[in-house]
Amino acid sequence: MEKLVILLPLIPLISALATHLWAKQLGRQVAKVSVNASILTFAVSVLLLVLMLSYDVAGQISFGGSWGILLADPLSVLMAVVIAGISMIVRIYSVRYMIEEEGYGRFFVLLDLMAVSLFLMVTAGDLITMLISWHAIGVLLYFLLGYDTRSASAYRYAFWTLLTYRIGDIAMVIAAGLLYHAYGTWSLSEIFSQLAANPNAHYYFGMPLPNIVGYLLAIAAFARSAQFLLHTWLPYTMGGPTPVSALMHAGIVNAGGFLINRFAPVFVHTGDVLHWLFIIGLITAVVGSVLMLTQNDIKKALGYSTMGQMGFMIMECGVGAFSLAIYHLIAHGLFKGTLFLGAGSVINEARKDDGVPKEDLYTFVVERKPVRQKQPWLVMAAITLIVPIFVLILAHWLVAQDFFQKQGAIVLLFFGWVTGAHLIFATYRMGSQNVWRLVGLIIFSFAIIVLGYAVISHAFDLFLYPDPEFRSQIYTAANIDVFWFDVLVVLVTMIMVLGWLARYYTEKNRNQTSKHLNSLWMSFYALVSREFYFNDIYAWLSRFILKFANQLNVWLRWR
Amino acid sequence: MSDLILILAGLFLPLFPLSMVFNEVFSRFTNRNHRIAFLVLWPQIGVFLIFVSGAQIPAWIASWGLLTALLYGVRLLAIREMQLWISFLATSSWAILWITLQYSGENSPVYLYTLGFSVPLVLLLFLSEELKARFGAAYTGLYGGLALTQPRFSGVFVMVVLAVIATPLFPAFFTMLETIFVSAPVSMWAAIFVGVVWLLWSWAGARLIQGLIVGPATEIQVPDLSKDSTKKYSAILVALVVLGLLALGGLP
Repeated sequence: MEKLVILLPLIPLISALATHLWAKQLGRQVAKVSVNASILTFAVSVLLLVLMLSYDVAGQISFGGSWGILLADPLSVLMAVVIAGISMIVRIYSVRYMIEEEGYGRFFVLLDLMAVSLFLMVTAGDLITMLISWHAIGVLLYFLLGYDTRSASAYRYAFWTLLTYRIGDIAMVIAAGLLYHAYGTWSLSEIFSQLAANPNAHYYFGMPLPNIVGYLLAIAAFARSAQFLLHTWLPYTMGGPTPVSALMHAGIVNAGGFLINRFAPVFVHTGDVLHWLFIIGLITAVVGSVLMLTQNDIKKALGYSTMGQMGFMIMECGVGAFSLAIYHLIAHGLFKGTLFLGAGSVINEARKDDGVPKEDLYTFVVERKPVRQKQPWLVMAAITLIVPIFVLILAHWLVAQDFFQKQGAIVLLFFGWVTGAHLIFATYRMGSQNVWRLVGLIIFSFAIIVLGYAVISHAFDLFLYPDPEFRSQIYTAANIDVFWFDVLVVLVTMIMVLGWLARYYTEKNRNQTSKHLNSLWMSFYALVSREFYFNDIYAWLSRFILKFANQLNVWLRWR
Repeated sequence: MSDLILILAGLFLPLFPLSMVFNEVFSRFTNRNHRIAFLVLWPQIGVFLIFVSGAQIPAWIASWGLLTALLYGVRLLAIREMQLWISFLATSSWAILWITLQYSGENSPVYLYTLGFSVPLVLLLFLSEELKARFGAAYTGLYGGLALTQPRFSGVFVMVVLAVIATPLFPAFFTMLETIFVSAPVSMWAAIFVGVVWLLWSWAGARLIQGLIVGPATEIQVPDLSKDSTKKYSAILVALVVLGLLALGGLP
């Protein structure tokens, strides 16, 4: 079965070569080569998944050298299905979307090569193959984002992406160097088995090997998944064609979550790194979501939304829910890909009707529709707080009774509760002609999503990490001291409740807010609308380096 | 005596300020064949001298090499004239070999590593000559948009730039991997700085590409690279990848 894995990168590679060679002869028809290849690859990946689920046979295939190993394990096969599916949809979509663009064939060649690199990344069974594919993805993305060679701005932001990715690449190369030095092999399975036998056998620079490698891999994941401080490239890379945005947001950007899962046997010995993942993921989720709310450009808002989602994904890894992160990245990939591919239609519709809700008076007098109803605050608040937690607990209890004994699970439930509460809270604020119907529908949807999420993530857990001891080890590694955990839970709950109370207070005293508070709020809004000045700082820094380089050349007389 | 030979080697695997000699001499050559010979042979002499001396490279010289690579990597960012660009990148990439030599010693195929840096630079030199012949100067930012008017040239140019900035699967990529692999367990800072130099090359390479092939089509009408030349360049690039994989891709 493992021999089938070779087909995953091989089919798109052949397709890239054929597309390049036949582009002139076939004209626009050349896209069919790429599309058919993508359908075939998808079929192979699904077949692999079915075989994996049916016979549970993991394996690897080697090309004979010290590297060049491809893995067929649950993680690689699952990710291959996702990549094959998304890249197939993107290629089918591109057939018409890109029809009037110059370099039509080149676009499909680049898409094919990107698919080759992505398949190699997820199936890599050794460090060198992993490094090659990891590095190649950054380079190919640069050219895909800069597909329109007339657009200097597209290339400028593609360049930001390349540079950020390179930071992550370097961290990964160093991590690979340390792992090889310690274990004398490039093979991931051999490294992981030696590491499991004696995790603290090697120390570098006063740190246990898993810790230092964990930190380096985390940096690589942060750069790829647009985590805080390495995030600025993501919302600005909208100059590329829409199918590329879809592919990037639905697939490439998720690589951080994949990397952490691939190196789970390292992270399981690195509690500190997991806590760091949680903190950075949390900051990214909050910053990404706040910035998303202030954007007036739909694609940029989607970019920041992706950043927020990536934050959640990394945060999930930080609490030990590794398989949940994989489920999250798949779910996010599907819905974000859909949003991007549908963005053009939404903009088109918005040109006809802005969709902004009318004032109550306008609705009643001009449109002759009943006025929106609002229910008492206290009733809604009670529903807001109680219903989500009830749904969450019930859903998880159905899946695994011991779920609540894990700190990570509590944290995730907490976030689920806050999200659910906010959803109902927002529903109340929206107002509706039939509030109870709307609330009922939302609670029903929420219950379905939570139940689905709980069941599927549990299934993912069993599929990706069949060893219950290993699953438990990951959660244990992510644990913190119970006292501090309780303190944090209370603190965050208080912050949330205070936030809600503040919102309630503002709502009640809409016309009586103090000038001081208003000015503070406006300052914050200005800060957010400038995206916390990160882009400006980075742009200034790069200009400074270029100026400095020029000055150095002048001083040294260009020699 | 061995120290003296090492210093002499610093002229050929350029260490700043001796690197200025290399850049000065390179700029004075006007004959293409001389330049090619210079790019290929100059660093090989340096490697030869180090092996002849038989001396263990002192840490301070390796650090000096790394700083030279960093210095020229930074300076490369502001270079727009292609010949100077080639010369500075050559200086930066050869200087980094001091780190490779210090940590992996005579066991590593340093002659091949050096050649892996030199050959793509020679290809870039050819392309810069092609540009000079067409536009009168090989200079970024003067005439952009070559991707639209000269697709064959642009394609080859992009691939060659990728080769010189050590992108997979070109030979220089494996050299950079090896350099970081051997330095990381001993000195994290050395590995980080090698990585930073690599990053600077990528930055400079992207600027070079953006300065020549990106932008609206230039109004100057010049012929594209011939099909035969394109095939030759492609064949050499493919050969570089294959040889790189076979000769250097084995890694330790």
